[in-house]
Amino acid sequence: MAKKVLDQRFKVLSIETSCDETSVALLDYAERGTQYAVRLRHHETATQIPIHRRFGGVVPEVAARTHVAELVSLLDRAKIISSGKRSTFDAIAVTKGPGLATALRVGVEAARTLAMLTGKPIVGVNHLEGHLASAWLVPENRRRWEFPILALLVSGGHSELVLMRDFCSYKVVGRTRDDAAGEAFDKTAKLLGLPYPGGPEMSKQAKTGNPKAFDLPRPMLKDKSLDMSFSGLKTAVRVLVDKLGLESKHAVRGTRYDLPDLCASIQAAITDVLVEKTIRAAKLHRPKCIIMVGGVSANSELQEKMARCVKAELPDVRMLKPPSGFYTDNAAMIAAAGLWRLRKGKTDAWKKLDAEPELDL
Amino acid sequence: MRNIKISSKGKTTAVKVPSENDWGLVVEKLLPLIRPGTILAVQGNLGAGKTTFIQALAKALGIKRFVPSPTFALMRSYKLPKTVNGIHRLVHVDAYRLKDELELQVLDLDEELSDGKSLLVVEWPEKIEKWIAARESRVIRLKIV
Ligand SMILES: Nc1ncnc2c1ncn2[C@@H]1O[C@H](COP(=O)(O)OP(=O)(O)O)[C@@H](O)[C@H]1O
Ligand SMILES: [Mg+2]
Repeated sequence: MAKKVLDQRFKVLSIETSCDETSVALLDYAERGTQYAVRLRHHETATQIPIHRRFGGVVPEVAARTHVAELVSLLDRAKIISSGKRSTFDAIAVTKGPGLATALRVGVEAARTLAMLTGKPIVGVNHLEGHLASAWLVPENRRRWEFPILALLVSGGHSELVLMRDFCSYKVVGRTRDDAAGEAFDKTAKLLGLPYPGGPEMSKQAKTGNPKAFDLPRPMLKDKSLDMSFSGLKTAVRVLVDKLGLESKHAVRGTRYDLPDLCASIQAAITDVLVEKTIRAAKLHRPKCIIMVGGVSANSELQEKMARCVKAELPDVRMLKPPSGFYTDNAAMIAAAGLWRLRKGKTDAWKKLDAEPELDL
Repeated sequence: MRNIKISSKGKTTAVKVPSENDWGLVVEKLLPLIRPGTILAVQGNLGAGKTTFIQALAKALGIKRFVPSPTFALMRSYKLPKTVNGIHRLVHVDAYRLKDELELQVLDLDEELSDGKSLLVVEWPEKIEKWIAARESRVIRLKIV
């Protein structure tokens, strides 16, 4: 048994500042015997998407500066210090990586300061572990949760297949060799002249399109490896747009060719690869459950296709719910992952905790 | 098939790269030119093959780790298992999501390169042209068409 650092009842304060979002959460945990209860008491995220949308990209310089200002007011609103000057939390979880060093440091330094002043335990959390934990925030998933679990983690910066043998025990069994799935959505959307962020825009357009209208590459689909590749889509879509005789800036008006058909075809290519590789990984590693997490897991076409294929090909495997409300970066998932670590007695020394921009799972 | 122009110290060389597996042809031409502190500015459209080339370069430098696209992360660095031409580290930057050189501040790039033993490769150098141009004597430009 790991050493106990906390009672069976505790509150985790969490901070996330790894990239675009500044977020703070307070999560309650109570344990009795083998039963436990989890309650999200407070959760607030200040998103920077509106600023970034103006520039058509993420603006890290703005991001780092905004994180500092936002974090202080988010902590204030979370009422982490009660009127009697007592803290309302029992432990602190903070994202330590991967991410932008300057952005990560804002959260890590704030968390360390709080740990120093209050003497509460602190735990540095891997942002990717946070995404895995986001599925566990769904109460129904916690009831059906059983290891081993296969996770498809898909976002703007990640496309990974992770085998979870237990809490805090992970193995990456497949990953993209080049572009992430979310990056493939954003960049092909850019080639079509769609506004940033391209992914959601593309799936909106795709709703009325024919996914078989254009034949796009699905590299590495048939080979045995669990790795993926999405970089070829950019070239293929560029060639298509050129062949259709259009500048991409005109494409968005959809006057000369069917934009929905193109979007549906691109979406089909990306989701086919994600689903096929997940099924292949599941046949190899025989998990009890499958989860999908990260920004791209919000894509409804991906959700439907995955549910359909798991049901047809892996009838004994449980498909858990995507983490609705926790898709993008948020502090609630960091609290959940922090809680996993704290339950196992894993903590960090505030003096030593540092941002780790290159952290892997 | 891609056509590449390598420009260094006023001289330009052209190389043809028939397939994605042939970037070694460019790496071969480059290796004698690079030294610690060199900045490789790799220009080309979306899907031109910038990342593919950098993967071949990393492999030639002995790096075993995956070299995925750093567009989202903005920057990744790789330690070389053995120094090559005095280079200890490869720093891979993608300026795609940056608006201009001002936004480079967040990467602390000068600090990152202060050991003087790194090779910097940059995708989308045109986004941070002023920063690059201020270091012109160390810059090798690669243009993929
Ligand atoms: N010399 C080449 N000939 C043909 N295709 C190539 C060549 N180099 C790369 N490619 C292909 O181009 C696609 C895009 O490559 P990538 O490196 O992601 O481009 P970029 O980083 O410039 O956006 C990939 O499918 C890659 O295999
Ligand atoms: Mg690239």
